[in-house]
Amino acid sequence: MAAVDWVRAQARKESLALLAPGILVLVIAFLFPVGTILITSVLERTEDGAFELTASHFGKFFVDDYYLKVAWRTLRLALVITLATVIFGVPLAYIMRRAHPALRFAILLTVILPLMTSVVIRTFGWLVVLGNGGLLASLVAPFGVTGRSAVLMHTETGIVIAMTQVLLPFMVLTVLGVLQGIGRDLEEAGRTMGAGFWQVLRVVVLPLAVPGIVSGSLIVFALSISSFITPSLVGGVRLPVMAGSIYQSIGGSFDWPFAAAQSTLLLAATLLLIIPYARLARTP
Amino acid sequence: MLNRRHFLRDTALTASALAVPSILRAQDNRLVINSFGGAYEEIHRQLVITPFEEMTGTRVEVVTAYSADTLSQLRAQKEAPQFDVAHFSGGLETTAALEGLLSPIEPSELSNHDQMYEFAVAGISKGVGPTYSTAVIGLLYETNQINPAPTSWNDLLREGIGERVLVTDAASNTYGLLGLLMMNHALGGTMEDLTPGLEFVRKLLDNGAVVVSKSPEIQQNFAQGSAWMAAYAQDYAFTLTKAGLPVKFVQPQEGAAFAPITVNLVANRPNRELALKFIDLSIRAEASAGWAEALRYSPTNRTVTLSGEVAEQVVYGEAAARNLVGFDPVVISDKRAGWNEEWKRLLVQ
Repeated sequence: MAAVDWVRAQARKESLALLAPGILVLVIAFLFPVGTILITSVLERTEDGAFELTASHFGKFFVDDYYLKVAWRTLRLALVITLATVIFGVPLAYIMRRAHPALRFAILLTVILPLMTSVVIRTFGWLVVLGNGGLLASLVAPFGVTGRSAVLMHTETGIVIAMTQVLLPFMVLTVLGVLQGIGRDLEEAGRTMGAGFWQVLRVVVLPLAVPGIVSGSLIVFALSISSFITPSLVGGVRLPVMAGSIYQSIGGSFDWPFAAAQSTLLLAATLLLIIPYARLARTP
Repeated sequence: MLNRRHFLRDTALTASALAVPSILRAQDNRLVINSFGGAYEEIHRQLVITPFEEMTGTRVEVVTAYSADTLSQLRAQKEAPQFDVAHFSGGLETTAALEGLLSPIEPSELSNHDQMYEFAVAGISKGVGPTYSTAVIGLLYETNQINPAPTSWNDLLREGIGERVLVTDAASNTYGLLGLLMMNHALGGTMEDLTPGLEFVRKLLDNGAVVVSKSPEIQQNFAQGSAWMAAYAQDYAFTLTKAGLPVKFVQPQEGAAFAPITVNLVANRPNRELALKFIDLSIRAEASAGWAEALRYSPTNRTVTLSGEVAEQVVYGEAAARNLVGFDPVVISDKRAGWNEEWKRLLVQ
């Protein structure tokens, strides 16, 4: 009996030892800063320099249609971008799984390669394509579309296009991982039983791919709701999103408590959407 | 006594100490300064940093940080400052001085003090360091498309150029804010009432003007032919000219705004003597002239002599400086957050 206990205790210690570095990093790089942000968001400096609890920073956000508009734009864009990566990413991942290994490797490389480039550089590429006198503008010029209407810079459509390209690899790789775990025999069985191509996709492949699509969506959504560089470069100052608004509060208005309140709300909104979604992935 | 308040303060201090990269932890034989990166930093090295290192044998650590970032860092490091000398452009030095982040300087501590224009050293006893050069905010225009040249801020409303006017974001860009204040001033507004300026910008936006927030966007727009006129800085017009673009700068008849560029002594640092030497070297005539020659910043040392093209492309001499409009930095720092809110609402689509 005692020996069994000793082994169990030892096993617990070993797991703890393995966990320790990860936990240490999380505490220093995540829990501590997030804690500081949470504290900053509910404190206010009084006349005599002391701090007291307040909800006024959060209040400022909710009484103001400007900030609600920014929040709604951020949420809406994140949802559209997530949907777009599903629409483009899932079929691509499916084709990749079915393809000849050499072709799969080639597609994989094309999907992964952009990840090797900094997001700033990739976004600048989009500025060249979407901007004034850019590739897009010269493509549509022969059809009589000129001037501002031929330019997707400083538009929400532009943000969605650029962000979808930036985030697509996360969706494709996640879904591919799950699809590769589904036996080809299941599809073959479906076909043998008389189901057509689309029916097999709908009844066999898609339901089994749901966990992959869900985790891919979670990653893409979380990355896009907090993204800063691409929306600010492609969208510009007239289409602010939450991350840009937080940055502005820190560096432009020097209102750190309000920036902290906005960050807290962004985090809360992300968790609120992610938790029920993650549950979805667990249902068989 | 350990209570929650102390705990919070100490926690925040530890956080800021952790956040400071080791390069910022200066020793006595090093001087830590900020500069603004790119071509500016290169010229900064040439005119001040390298001569200082050669003169004193001190190594200068340069941290690339714009004014707003520098102020944020000085604030976070208030209990244990990491910079010896801080450079600001566009008014934030006054905010920093008011918060006690900068140290006052006596005129006798700077050998070049008496060569400076009065306005350039007016605040040193209050902690606002000397203005070693100034940027001037007026109108940039595309010389092939805009004819005749603009003479007034109202020329931004000129027929047929609506979509090719650039407005600079006033909430994130100091030159943008000074441009807004200048338009407001030209239209009869005051620092108490920004309505004329904001209404003017609203008209520009209704005409299709594009809002930019960073200077490279201005260059990009002029290069792509999508910008013909913009309210921005004289030095930046020179950057565009050097890049081969047909762009010129004018001081409109209603006046042009000036943005001081200052070199400041950070409070509570052990390197006061060295830092003062650095500041003294920054304001000498040779450096002031160098900024004008290399980047077209206007000199603030009155012994500077410039000639030909350079003299024409900066604000040079006491008479020329009279058309410049300065905006009270104390009022700016006090009102900026409120203005930002109004401005963001004006812009949002």
